[in-house]
Amino acid sequence: MSCFLTGFGAALPGRIVTNQELAPLLGVTPEWIAANSGIRERRYVEADQATSDLAVSAVRDALADAHTSAGEVDYLIACTLSPDYQVPGIAPIVQNKLEGCRGVPCIDIRAGCAGILYGLQLAQGLIESHAARTVACFGAEAQSKGLDLNPRSAEISMLFGDGAGAVIVSNKNTRANRDYSVKLDDVLIETDGQFAADLIVRAPGTANGPSWLTETHLESALNYGSMRGRNVILQAVRKLTDAAECILLRNGLTIDQVDLVIPHQANANLLTALGRKLGVSNDKVVINVDRLGNTSGASAFLALSQAHSEERIRRGNRLLILAFGAGFTWGAALCQAI
Amino acid sequence: MLTENIMTFLSNAASEARAELPDPDSSLFQSGVLDSFTLVDFVTLLESECNIKIDDADLRPENFDSIAKVEAFINRVRANA
Repeated sequence: MSCFLTGFGAALPGRIVTNQELAPLLGVTPEWIAANSGIRERRYVEADQATSDLAVSAVRDALADAHTSAGEVDYLIACTLSPDYQVPGIAPIVQNKLEGCRGVPCIDIRAGCAGILYGLQLAQGLIESHAARTVACFGAEAQSKGLDLNPRSAEISMLFGDGAGAVIVSNKNTRANRDYSVKLDDVLIETDGQFAADLIVRAPGTANGPSWLTETHLESALNYGSMRGRNVILQAVRKLTDAAECILLRNGLTIDQVDLVIPHQANANLLTALGRKLGVSNDKVVINVDRLGNTSGASAFLALSQAHSEERIRRGNRLLILAFGAGFTWGAALCQAI
Repeated sequence: MLTENIMTFLSNAASEARAELPDPDSSLFQSGVLDSFTLVDFVTLLESECNIKIDDADLRPENFDSIAKVEAFINRVRANA
């Protein structure tokens, strides 16, 4: 059975945080942030905005684009590292705010910035096994609420921004009479837990002694993200290149036959290095990291929605989605616009 | 000994970073010669110049932190090949 991406949505908070605003807090210059990340600005949520608020907007946007009602959704898949609460997951909260799909199964995937690929593979499996017909899959983040805006964390805190993106996955080509449909052909995902400590938020966590969050944990900044940046970049470029080559090979394709690469927006310099390794020119790569920063689990969803809204996808195009995140988790998805 | 192409890469990286190529035991990262992104190209060059494939588990920045460490690492990979 074929599986189609029939709607694309996005939601961004209104507050723009420039490098000029952020740099003094992090003890660096705006130019340093731009040179080391390619980021000029990012969006932050307001104090009264939760991740689920962004998620609901993105899912509604995607449903409207798919000409599908919330009542037709029979499975909700959330990808986030910054849920509203520790418990429950964000997906049930989004279901409740969305209205119209009460009772349908809702799950959270914690696969970091590669969540989109895990979500798409799960959605594909659900559809192919007839467990679902219409799946709303979204990535949403409000990472700004968990950033350490101090010089000790400049390397990681300069990167992140907030936002949400969504895609409707369907067993029917409901866009057949419109511009195009995106057929999901293949998804490849991998995980290597030996690198778990290279990109990590340790607290709250049950590996931290008798309590999962104490004053000592807070004093040691264990509640903030820590990253071994060089290792992340080395592994990300290697693993994403290998994943791209593998999925293309098993589908009898070469990189020259890919029209659009839609990567997780980790860092502009990483995207440049990846493009060089893959042999892909910049005009084939969808980029938003310069104005949105790294939106983690939302990032590739937002890039996909951007490619759609900017009309960069044409019937007959082959799309390659690439993502890499904490875990490490990574992979690739191959789609075709028909 | 690292090949001429590898040493040229490091010299060029030092020039671009407006840094001096450090002595063999000093850090290429702390001297500014290598950063996260030149490291990616450096590893690619090492694999092609030395005709080796570096396992993911060995793809650790500390293996490339000085000229001496790079030489030792390449010798180790070749010995285990």
